Amino acid sequence: MTTEPTAFLTALRLSDSFLPVGGYTASYGLEQYLNEDRIEDGDDLRELITAYLQRVVGPCETVALSNAHAASAAGDLERLLAVDERLHAVTMPREFRESSTKAGAKLCELLESDSSSRDSNASGTQHVQDNSSTPATDGGDIVADFAAAIEADETPGHYPVVFGVVTAARGLSRLESCLAHAHSFVTGLLGAAQRLGRFGHTEIQSVLEALESEITAVCERHVDDDVAAMASFAPLAEIMGMRHEHAGRRLFMS
Amino acid sequence: MGYRDVAKVGLGGPVGSGKTALVRRLVPELVERDYEVGVIANDIMTQEDADVFRESFADLLPADLVEGVETGACPHTGIREDPSMNLAAIDEFTERHPELDVVLIESGGDNLAATFNPELADYFLFVISVAEGEDIPRKRGPGVTQADLLVVNKTDLAPHVDVDLDVIEDDAATVRGEDPFVFTNCKDGEGVDGVLKHVEREVLFA
Repeated sequence: MTTEPTAFLTALRLSDSFLPVGGYTASYGLEQYLNEDRIEDGDDLRELITAYLQRVVGPCETVALSNAHAASAAGDLERLLAVDERLHAVTMPREFRESSTKAGAKLCELLESDSSSRDSNASGTQHVQDNSSTPATDGGDIVADFAAAIEADETPGHYPVVFGVVTAARGLSRLESCLAHAHSFVTGLLGAAQRLGRFGHTEIQSVLEALESEITAVCERHVDDDVAAMASFAPLAEIMGMRHEHAGRRLFMS
Repeated sequence: MGYRDVAKVGLGGPVGSGKTALVRRLVPELVERDYEVGVIANDIMTQEDADVFRESFADLLPADLVEGVETGACPHTGIREDPSMNLAAIDEFTERHPELDVVLIESGGDNLAATFNPELADYFLFVISVAEGEDIPRKRGPGVTQADLLVVNKTDLAPHVDVDLDVIEDDAATVRGEDPFVFTNCKDGEGVDGVLKHVEREVLFA
């Protein structure tokens, strides 16, 4: 397998907490689990994030991302908007939707603005594609069209959907995109847990390592799912997310 | 309309230095001068704090121009490395109030190294309290040295905490060079005029 440097670096950039899209303000209900003393140690944390992966990230966000990637690669705006609409419909807690759409808008704004400078800098550069199914598209039109639809409030612009659009344009395969997104979701939650609770840095890394096989499993399981299969079933996490709206203490936006 | 179309003033500084008190002094004065003002407070912690904050401006500002932004226990990140959630809140302000003149962005309490991202704040004030110690300016934290205006607040407490204001003044002049600083007692409103003059001249008339 040949490594495509631009795609690889894009995956690193999008998975890094250095990416300025406000990810550090979202806990997706985790703050409320800690507010209610439902997480005691690293094992509890691992079990909870495993459940997020199996019931939200996999069947919901991975399906959205993968289908957005495919729609974007095919230049099909209508299909892309349908993916975004469905993800909005199946994301129950208000704060989850807000965290996702705010981060999505910022990612779109950020990468759309530097794609124009990238286009002018990279003219004439021809990258070798790896064995992924990603077509070699510059994605310029669909990215711009989708950004315009978000800007005009015609579509919510959820983060996994924008992530799919951006990664398709930059040559990541669908599976690579899903892995990068799931990994950054997990590290985001672990970072939130560490700031809210009392977890050691080595303990957090152990949890992350233990979750790697689950990240891979849920992405491989859901990467080819049809958009109609997109669903989320995590009632307690959703209840935590809704209670968080009225929490006595809140350091996070969700 | 978006965040690039409105003047933005950041207020940073350690916990308890009087950032909120200064915002409460500045808002009525700015409204009195016919500016349309929005206020964002980072890290207000609880819904109760948010309600208190909105109530304090209830007669001055529309409720939808007062917003709380949580920064996930990373106050410096919210104003420096990744201000995206603050910018998103400003975008919502300008969408609802295109005639908005200025947004005050109050950071969560932080350390002396906290500075504002220039894309978030056109002008930033760093507020310290004399009760935090006479040596704060001398430590040369980036907040103290890089702020557009250093505000030394709670001057009324100086005699009670063995602080010599002349020492603070000398140190502030040394570490800030040509850049301005003012003394305030926001509890009584002393010195707030000086802050307003700087903000008006450097931001609103600029």
